[in-house]
Amino acid sequence: MKKLYLLLLLIPFSGTYAQPNCEAYKYLGDMVKYEACKKAMEIKGHYQFSKEYQTILDEAIKIDPTFDYPYWAKSVAYLKSGDFVTWKKLIDKAVALNPKERLGYRGWCRYQFFRDYEGAIRDIEKLDSLVTYDIGQSQNGTYHLNIAKGLCYKAIGEKEKAINIIEEQIKLNEAEDFIGAYDYLHLGVLYLETNDPEKALAAFKNQTEHNEVAENQYYSALAYKALQNQDEYKTGLQRAKKLYLEGNKLSDPYSSPMDKIFLKDIEVELEAAGN
Amino acid sequence: MTFPKPLLFFSFLLFLLCSCKTEKQTDSENEYLRWVGDIEHNETTDKPGFRICNGEEQILQYFNLGAGPLYPEEKSTLLETFESKYQPVETNDQNGFIRIRFVVNCEGKADRFRILQADKDYNEIEFDERITNQLLEITKGIESWKVMYRHEIPVDYYFYLIFKINDGQITEILP
Repeated sequence: MKKLYLLLLLIPFSGTYAQPNCEAYKYLGDMVKYEACKKAMEIKGHYQFSKEYQTILDEAIKIDPTFDYPYWAKSVAYLKSGDFVTWKKLIDKAVALNPKERLGYRGWCRYQFFRDYEGAIRDIEKLDSLVTYDIGQSQNGTYHLNIAKGLCYKAIGEKEKAINIIEEQIKLNEAEDFIGAYDYLHLGVLYLETNDPEKALAAFKNQTEHNEVAENQYYSALAYKALQNQDEYKTGLQRAKKLYLEGNKLSDPYSSPMDKIFLKDIEVELEAAGN
Repeated sequence: MTFPKPLLFFSFLLFLLCSCKTEKQTDSENEYLRWVGDIEHNETTDKPGFRICNGEEQILQYFNLGAGPLYPEEKSTLLETFESKYQPVETNDQNGFIRIRFVVNCEGKADRFRILQADKDYNEIEFDERITNQLLEITKGIESWKVMYRHEIPVDYYFYLIFKINDGQITEILP
């Protein structure tokens, strides 16, 4: 029974983004961490950029410098303001103290905010080597971390490796019925870039059924162009433009997603198509 | 009156240790402004006529409005601007990240430009000024930025550009 309670208490630690359950530390007899945790929870109601939020976390760190949570929580505002120097110092401390919980986050942020592809790959692969469970999703929930890793391999020119990683993860995602918002799109673009327009179109059709965006129709049009299907090429571009103007396009509140297109891309291609 | 050499050395060491501690405390604990990353007006470097429309305490971050990073036209235009104006510095020892952060006011005008630089391992460094000066001048030369609104009122906000530099060339511009 004691083990069951312990398991229940520790469940809140299993998610990278969950707030810590301070009572668990108390139960485990770690009163210093418990006090630091209680202090850290006083951030509730304060904006993460604010002086108050940062000061409370400084106090939590003073109580227990080995507690990873306040370093992580402090780092977020620096990340979002683009202060890569301070962010990295703070998140490195959190990772050193709790690698299994923080490596995936750091890897994802390296990719999302700084396009640090090699660093992101290192972190995600390191996490994978440390755990026996699924390494989970990106912080924003858009991708499984393996999909993000595949995108990083693509960015450093290892496209076949990227395809293998993404294909494999999509199979697992399909089995779980938990497909990422743009998984098929990215896979299709990779096929297109490696001169396989038929496979690209199959992936884009899956994306259409799952979550239609302008980029999907734009790259579909390019696949049809490669197959010399002029009618579908033009139609795809027109669909892409309509979707784009309606706001159905790749987006992220903090950055420009990989494979994102701009209206100008569609218009240049429309002109080339003779529209 | 003279002091023995070991005593002088010890006193100097103590002085150094105390100095470091004081500086560290100042940096990490006592210097928070309203928000992380707030840029105060500097009369020696900033334009005297630059106006914060809604007050310093109301300056937002670009992502506070949920519209993602917005550019004067589309990001593709910004990329073209840097592609056409930036002259790569031929060198293989200039690698890392350069962030230029600034305030965009309610009229889409920008000022208070500040630079942060790091190598590929995120350690703070200083790039060749031929690189940073160009990036700064091109950024300052962009005449108008996107006007962002909250409840139909134009706001002031912080925005930044991060340049990934490889061998003195721009490889990516973020966000």
